[in-house]
Amino acid sequence: MGNKQTTFTDEQLEAYQDCTFFTRKEVLRLHGRYRELAPHLVPLDYTNNPDIRVPLTLIVTMPELKVLCSVAGQENPFRDRIVETFSEDGQGNLTFNDFVDMFSALCETSPRELKTIYAFKIYDFNRDNFICKEDLQRTLNKLTKGELTPEEVTLVCDKAIEEADLDGDTKLSFADFENMISKAPDFLSNFHVRI
Amino acid sequence: MSTVSEPLVGSSRSLSATKRHKSVRKNSRRIYSAYQDHEGSSDDEDKDDERVDSNDPEEMFQNIQYQKEIIANIRTRPWPMRRKLKVLKHAREIVLKYEGRLTRTRGYQTAGADLLKKLSRVLYNVVVLFIPWEVRIKKIESHFGSGVASYFIFLRWLFGINIVLTIMTGAFIVLPELLAGAPFGTTRSKTIPKEHLASAQDLDTIWSLGGYLQYSVLFYGYYGRVRKIGSAGYRLPLAYFLVGMAVFAYSFIILLRKMAKNSRLSLASASDENFTFCWRVFCAWDYLIGNPEAAESKGAAIVNNIREAIVEEQEKKKDTSLAVLISLRILANILVLLSLAGSIYIIYFVVDRSQKLEQEKPELTLWEKNEVSVVVSLITMIAPSAFELVAQLEMYHPRTSLRFQLARVLVLYLGNLYSLIIALLDKVNSMSSAVPVNPGNWSDSSAFLATISQPEVDSLSTLVSDISVSEHRNSTIATIATVLDVTNSGRSSAGTSNQTALFEKNTRSQQDQCWETYVGQEMLKLSIIDMIFTVASILLIDFIRGLVVRYLSDCCCWDLESKFPEYGEFKIAENVLHLIYNQGMIWMGAFFSPCLPAFNVLKLIGLMYLRSWAVLTCNVPHQQVFRASRSNNFYLAMLLFMLFLCMLPTIFAIVRYRPSRHCGPFSGQEKIYDIISETVANDFPLWFSKVMSYVTSPVVVLPALLLLFMLIYYLQAIARSLKFTNNQLRMQLQTERTEDKKKVFQMAAARLQAPEAAADKKPDQQESDVTSQEASVHTPSPRRNGSVTNFQSPVRRGNSIRTITQSASRAELNRGSVAGSVRSPAVTILPKHRLEHIPNRPPPFLGGPGGTCRSKSYHHMAYNPPARYPDNIHSDPLCRKTVRSIHPVEAAGIITAQSYGGRRGHTTRYVIVNEHEPRKKLLRSATRIPRHYLMEESAEILELYPRNIKRYAPRNTHHQPHPHRSHPSQQHLSEEEEEEEEGKGRRRVSLGKAHRPRSLSDLHQPAHFYIGERAESHVSMAKDSRTAQRRYGVQEEDEEEDGEGEMDWGDLESHSRFQANVRGADPLLVRTRRHIHSPGRHFQSPARTRPMESHVKPKTRPKLETPLTESDSASLASSSDQQNSSTDQYIQVIHNKERYLKSEARQGKLAKKKSKTGFDLNQSESNDLVSSNV
Repeated sequence: MGNKQTTFTDEQLEAYQDCTFFTRKEVLRLHGRYRELAPHLVPLDYTNNPDIRVPLTLIVTMPELKVLCSVAGQENPFRDRIVETFSEDGQGNLTFNDFVDMFSALCETSPRELKTIYAFKIYDFNRDNFICKEDLQRTLNKLTKGELTPEEVTLVCDKAIEEADLDGDTKLSFADFENMISKAPDFLSNFHVRI
Repeated sequence: MSTVSEPLVGSSRSLSATKRHKSVRKNSRRIYSAYQDHEGSSDDEDKDDERVDSNDPEEMFQNIQYQKEIIANIRTRPWPMRRKLKVLKHAREIVLKYEGRLTRTRGYQTAGADLLKKLSRVLYNVVVLFIPWEVRIKKIESHFGSGVASYFIFLRWLFGINIVLTIMTGAFIVLPELLAGAPFGTTRSKTIPKEHLASAQDLDTIWSLGGYLQYSVLFYGYYGRVRKIGSAGYRLPLAYFLVGMAVFAYSFIILLRKMAKNSRLSLASASDENFTFCWRVFCAWDYLIGNPEAAESKGAAIVNNIREAIVEEQEKKKDTSLAVLISLRILANILVLLSLAGSIYIIYFVVDRSQKLEQEKPELTLWEKNEVSVVVSLITMIAPSAFELVAQLEMYHPRTSLRFQLARVLVLYLGNLYSLIIALLDKVNSMSSAVPVNPGNWSDSSAFLATISQPEVDSLSTLVSDISVSEHRNSTIATIATVLDVTNSGRSSAGTSNQTALFEKNTRSQQDQCWETYVGQEMLKLSIIDMIFTVASILLIDFIRGLVVRYLSDCCCWDLESKFPEYGEFKIAENVLHLIYNQGMIWMGAFFSPCLPAFNVLKLIGLMYLRSWAVLTCNVPHQQVFRASRSNNFYLAMLLFMLFLCMLPTIFAIVRYRPSRHCGPFSGQEKIYDIISETVANDFPLWFSKVMSYVTSPVVVLPALLLLFMLIYYLQAIARSLKFTNNQLRMQLQTERTEDKKKVFQMAAARLQAPEAAADKKPDQQESDVTSQEASVHTPSPRRNGSVTNFQSPVRRGNSIRTITQSASRAELNRGSVAGSVRSPAVTILPKHRLEHIPNRPPPFLGGPGGTCRSKSYHHMAYNPPARYPDNIHSDPLCRKTVRSIHPVEAAGIITAQSYGGRRGHTTRYVIVNEHEPRKKLLRSATRIPRHYLMEESAEILELYPRNIKRYAPRNTHHQPHPHRSHPSQQHLSEEEEEEEEGKGRRRVSLGKAHRPRSLSDLHQPAHFYIGERAESHVSMAKDSRTAQRRYGVQEEDEEEDGEGEMDWGDLESHSRFQANVRGADPLLVRTRRHIHSPGRHFQSPARTRPMESHVKPKTRPKLETPLTESDSASLASSSDQQNSSTDQYIQVIHNKERYLKSEARQGKLAKKKSKTGFDLNQSESNDLVSSNV
């Protein structure tokens, strides 16, 4: 496929296809989306792997953030978390690689294990490798946009931990989380994002 | 950990890590652990290279394979993309670089595989382009979430099925008939009767599918009955029948396959476990939703959901006015039943009425013609809403009410279809029965006439024309038979009015009599009307309402958007049901109207566009979304149900009724399926029909049926038992997991308490230890040589006094030994091993040379042991003695093992001497089992031996010298024992046997072994204190504050060491069979072994990690907490390890060659065990 303007070399595209669940076209489209975010920052030519990060603030504030608005979702309460989770520096600044990675992990065909790992990371707000009560509270508040009363929130958190916590340490380890998620009927269908 | 280790650890480790990932993918938990420990060290994969020995094609090939596996699986690894890219690049380079060195064929093979892969990728890229409506569905999905999208995906799937059905009917029925069949107008069944000709093109007629449409390929009646058509002799009737059946068969197969796939996908079969809150919190958000409104409603739905759960939790049962509720529900059900019955009655009534009308009135109005289908469609439209209203009476939980609703609607649809088809068949029945009975003679004769008349008219007329004309005019002579009469009358317009009328009537009834066409017409009509109603409802109910709500809300006194009319909801469940209903119609009518699937394809296309447009413009998603993933199979199950039920009437009609005589491919046959037997009889050789007759005889069919039933029963029984075992396994898994966790938790708690508790308990415990040791001494003694034991026990006590000096000297000696070993000529191997270890070790150690690290740790030990564990220390002298004494007794081989132990423990000079000698011997003798060396050596470095010896010594009666030396039979024994034994203590014993050379060591410290955990821990700690834990424990005691930081280091180190031990063994097993094959090599060229070890070791690590950590913590706890908690923890630790041991032991058994290595593994791991326990 000879492209008019080479964004990637064939080799790069192959590599991306190996590393993600995307087709060539999708990778190119992703790049298009990525570039839309910050046209002045992101070059069209990616053949030499420029190290460019689009900062979270820019991603969020820019009005024409089609990708993240309509996909990861302005509406998505976990948008920031998703972006942060996938950014290599943890600040939410995404390189194109991170960007591709994010959508690859969230795409339809990625396996449950992978998704579970990233889901855990997303819900683990304080990055202590446990989903503790605080994480749960934050999750809930994001999810319900603060519509629940504090008592309700604590109740739900307690219940949730009680349900899934196998070892009684009042926080959810990855094993707990995985055990719980693997039985959830619609985790797979819900935890993915379209591009 | 990552940064420092990076340079040193380098290649070997990274390789191992990737390897680890490979194996790890199977178990996500393991993945996670891997991911955790890799998180920090993102770069350690970067130098992913394996030293490929160019000499060894096998190794090279394995390496390449391995690299390829990396390439293939890299996408499923939770690494950041940059790393993935790097690793990928590297792996590719390696593959490229070394692939050429392999043999040609392999190169070609791989090249071919590459090409294939590329091709398939291109193909995939192309195919994706052709999936219809992908973008549209994605758009919907991104706006409304997966629930709404599932409707469209389902629609698309149905569309696919219908396409296939269309192709089947089109290619095998319609096209041949059009191309090769008799053209329109040539036969009676293909011509429009004259009196209808005038109206055949009226819109009215066309609309009711009469006129030209009735006599077209659309319907059954048009198809010719000629057995073979065209020059190729295409058997159209046969094809018609077979395709009719194939439609059902295909639908069944595709449905079942889809269902099976779905059920495989959904792991949620274990529904007995409920994580209500967790799911609501973690899985509630549909990440696909991007539309603000949808997100808002989803958010509201989630809040509702959670609130609901809370309320449910708070008051599990809210039996508010149960009586009222029950009566309400009964009322609701009665209402529903009534409406169902009413709808069925109405349909039946309408069909009946239309029948009568048709008979009475020659001209039917538009309404009268379409009455039936309009009524049916109206009912299908209105009744669901009525049901919904009724459902509000019931006050069920939304989800159950949705289920009720679905069930009711399904019943309604089915009832509609069934009453319709029954009414139709009733009509057919009356038609086919009325014709022969009522004007029986007439119809028969007329039919006969009709068939004959046309072809023969010409000839007859030529013959009789002159005469007949004259005769006819006269009408005097009737001799020539009515035949001529009738024909003439038909031809001549001047014929008597009576006769013509009669004839007309006959021909009409004869054509109408084509009941198959009639049924097909009705089904097609129904389908069309249904489509119109759907479109109308979308436009009216959704679109207009949406417009009104949006634009008139300003001028209305209440909020239209949130109060009364609102926006139309997209009711997924009902819409899907409607699709199912629609498909049911198609299946029902497909046999009688071959073009129905084609029509349905068009309908579905239209529906797809209209619906998607409507959804995007004027709908809001249903608040109570029916679970998409679960519903998938639910829908499919309903579809399957529908298919079955729709097939029944068709099959019934085929079996029960005679095909109509004058139309259709089966005219003239007694039954439709006679076509098969006829074909078999005529077109197949005689023997075949004979065979068929045998096969279809009851003698064969009945047993076959029986067999089928038995098979079904058997399979079901198996499925049940599998389910049972499945349940059990799950339970087992869970309990195990919880127990493990609890243990860990306890340990953590113990660890916290440790610092305080430790100080107090020590003295007491020591005392208790002494006593216990004594006690233990006695018990073991009988087993061994009594004399020896007795001798020992006194010695020990005495030793305790000595301990201080000894321990001090030991510490120094240890240091010295490290250095000394390097120097010593015999020990050439040692330095190398050390080097290996060092890279593996975590960074802190890397910083300093291995020797210093160790010395440090030793120092700690040195300080502590004297003060605390005098008892432990006494073991040293014993060892020495034993060593001495044993030497003469035992064979040289055995001595070597002992010597190791002895050396370690005491580091006395003479011990060292012993070491060297045995080693040399070993080296020479051990050509058999090179891994053994690896293990031992690593062990030496770790210096685990002394401990082990002490502990296991007591049991040495069984005495197994080092595994390699030991006799195979003994090894087996030990393995078995391990597996069998559940009691921890016993297991340990067995382990001890396995490892321990039955050396002197046995003699000196039987007590420990028996005493159980505590004694051991003490002893081990005091004595060697080389293992990290021990070290750690010591440190803790000395400097409790510092302990924390050091602990970690210690842990790390211990990890690495243990790993090293295990590794030594593991590599042999898993990775390098060649090594096994050529044991001599390794041994001889230490340089070579080194690389091998290096890759091997890291690999084993992942497996061990969890146990190790646990054991570490356990050991920590035990060391700090001393004996109290130690028993439990100890047990637990062993528990974990036991698994590994067992598994490895099994592995060992599996491959004979490996068996020895496996054994070694056991040993090494048992060492681990010991150390960890301690």
